[in-house]
Amino acid sequence: MTLQIGLLCGLVVFSAAAILIRDILKAAICLAMASLLLGILFFVMKAPYVGAFEISVVAGLVTVLFIVTIALTRAEGDVRESKLATWGFPLFFIVFLAIDLLVMKALIGKIPTLTSGAEAGTFGDALWKGRTFDLVAQIGVIFAGVFAVLALFRKRSKDE
Amino acid sequence: MIFLFVALPLVVAGLLPLIGKISKKVLPDILANGVFLVLLAYAVIVGKSLISRGAIVQQLVWLGEPVNIHMALDGFSLFMLFTVSLVGLCVGLYSINYMEHYGDKATYYALLLIMLAGMNGLLLVTDLFQVYLFLEVAAIASYALVAYGLGHDELEASFKYLMLSAVASAFIVAGIVIIYGLTGSLSFESVAAGLRALDARFIVGVCTAFFVFGFGLKAALIPFHAWLPDAHPSAPAPISAMLSGLLIKVSGIYALTRIFLSVLGLTPALSTILMYLGVISLVVAAFLALGQKDIKRMLAYSSISQVGYIVLAIGLGTPLGILGGLFHLLNHALAKSLLFLNSGSIQMSTGTRNLDEMGGLAKRMPWTAATSLVGSLSIAGVPPLNGFWSKLIIVIALIQAHHWVFALIAILTSVLTLWYYLLIQRRAFFGRLNERWREVREAPLWMTLATVILGLLCIAFGIFFSLIVRFWIEPARDALTAGVQALLTSRGM
Amino acid sequence: MSSTWLIYMAFAAILVFVGLYGLLSQRNLIKLFIGIEIISKGISLALVSTGFVRRSIFTAQALTITFIVVEVCVVATALAIIINIYRHTKSLDIRKLAKLKG
Repeated sequence: MTLQIGLLCGLVVFSAAAILIRDILKAAICLAMASLLLGILFFVMKAPYVGAFEISVVAGLVTVLFIVTIALTRAEGDVRESKLATWGFPLFFIVFLAIDLLVMKALIGKIPTLTSGAEAGTFGDALWKGRTFDLVAQIGVIFAGVFAVLALFRKRSKDE
Repeated sequence: MIFLFVALPLVVAGLLPLIGKISKKVLPDILANGVFLVLLAYAVIVGKSLISRGAIVQQLVWLGEPVNIHMALDGFSLFMLFTVSLVGLCVGLYSINYMEHYGDKATYYALLLIMLAGMNGLLLVTDLFQVYLFLEVAAIASYALVAYGLGHDELEASFKYLMLSAVASAFIVAGIVIIYGLTGSLSFESVAAGLRALDARFIVGVCTAFFVFGFGLKAALIPFHAWLPDAHPSAPAPISAMLSGLLIKVSGIYALTRIFLSVLGLTPALSTILMYLGVISLVVAAFLALGQKDIKRMLAYSSISQVGYIVLAIGLGTPLGILGGLFHLLNHALAKSLLFLNSGSIQMSTGTRNLDEMGGLAKRMPWTAATSLVGSLSIAGVPPLNGFWSKLIIVIALIQAHHWVFALIAILTSVLTLWYYLLIQRRAFFGRLNERWREVREAPLWMTLATVILGLLCIAFGIFFSLIVRFWIEPARDALTAGVQALLTSRGM
Repeated sequence: MSSTWLIYMAFAAILVFVGLYGLLSQRNLIKLFIGIEIISKGISLALVSTGFVRRSIFTAQALTITFIVVEVCVVATALAIIINIYRHTKSLDIRKLAKLKG
């Protein structure tokens, strides 16, 4: 369990860094590190498929997309972030942490859950046979994303 | 095969880029509108016969093998499919002319069809997670469609819409995850059964709060409405019609209603929350609509107000209330899309959306003026148009349930709505013709045709309201109240 | 069993909080979107840990993979919008996007 807690804390640290660090490129790298840690955590939780997917897609592809966007939008003079936001973060964080832990502690043992039988079959079964309609939705989402990008980057001839 | 509702738009959307290379205008127009027409006919003819003996669940069979795709069709889903296809067809027809100067019509139609596929999918699933998935399909398409004009305002509106909508989606999934953790299943029936067996009221309350926030934002209820007054005006007019007329109802109201009435259960507390949210949206948005100069912005606030009406009625939970709410959903979809399409016609002819600059347009654009009048009177609830009957049913339902104050507020806001709609009509269309518009022409064929169809439907649905109610709304209401009854009796109320 | 789930959910909630804090406090458009990404990480963590605790890790993985696919498409669309906004205003500051008043 200590490994998981360690990974979780690392995840939180890098996520907070991604928000608070001024330089946008370094922030994107911190986000990639956070994704990496999350992927490793998934492996530890015996979820290798989503772990591999998380690392390759989120830590890989999404980070590349971010870096490309950052390269294309090198502003003259970066955006000034509010100093108050950066220094105020630890305070809000600790307050939230306290509330979070208290709530979770109060809920221990109070959550009734239905037990279900052990899962049968393999991951392949779960994905292709158990969640088949999700795959149709995935096709829909991918179409939507592709066409959205095509529409947003189309050549405009005579309109505004 | 009700899978057609999702598959057909997706397949055509996928083919559209290739077809767009061959024929830039004619083929995409025909194909896209063809899809809407086919689905509308399918919904009316085949759908009705499929559910004649009650709700059905179809399992897809692919090449002889049964595939684990279950789609459920009951009165409520079929009613929504009918509404979506009907309004969608008119929007598609309108787009034939309107989207000319935006460029790349094939991609536009592809996104429109993907949005349609997402909405249809949402209406037919039996699984909580899939509700989220198809909601996102439609949402992503809508982000791109709002930003379609690529102007500053559109991009700003689309960005804010995307941010808020993404947060709402995250909370919806959070609620779904908690329910999965409690019951171990995601399909509507298993979850309903599982939650009945458990007594986890606090956690279910947390989930309910997440869902109210998430779906409430999608439906643009106050205080989660901030994205709508920017997004709907900035989008191209047919997309404003799709968003205001359909998307906020499918991803917001339908999903909310389905999950609360058929899965989680409409507890008295939840009913009260929904009613208050509804009435606040109703009143506040009506006042906010008053001061608007931009006609589309005023229509956007009016949408929030009318959605408040629908949520108030459905939140009431009584059979008559649900009946009124669903009927108003249909009527508002027809009338509001009509008004948005007309605002697009005005914008295309005169180049402005500012009410102060318009005047006397009825002389130059008679069809637009006439259909606008029909749409305005419909939303304001003037007999014998359709809006009057749905608002009347809602008020009667409120009175029957002894909610006198709510009924009074509903009536007074209706009067306010009537007043400012007539004001808009007078300023834009009647009165002296502004010198600038001396040479203005009426909207092109397809645009006028689409709005005339919608206008005639408003009149027809008003005159023949009892037929419409009996044929479409009552089966929808029965499908919902069956769910409510089952859950109420099991909780021992 | 239940307390393990609560630990994971607590961390997921912290991630969502960090993401929301980013959304409320940051001005750079890309940073705002990083906030959304962190919220999504929190949700995927919640999904996988719920499956882990309920011993239905395969279904949870299928759900999470689909969720990540959706996320990527949202990322692509959002970044496309951001690039277009930059082309218009030459800036990534959210305060420059105050034309519409909501």
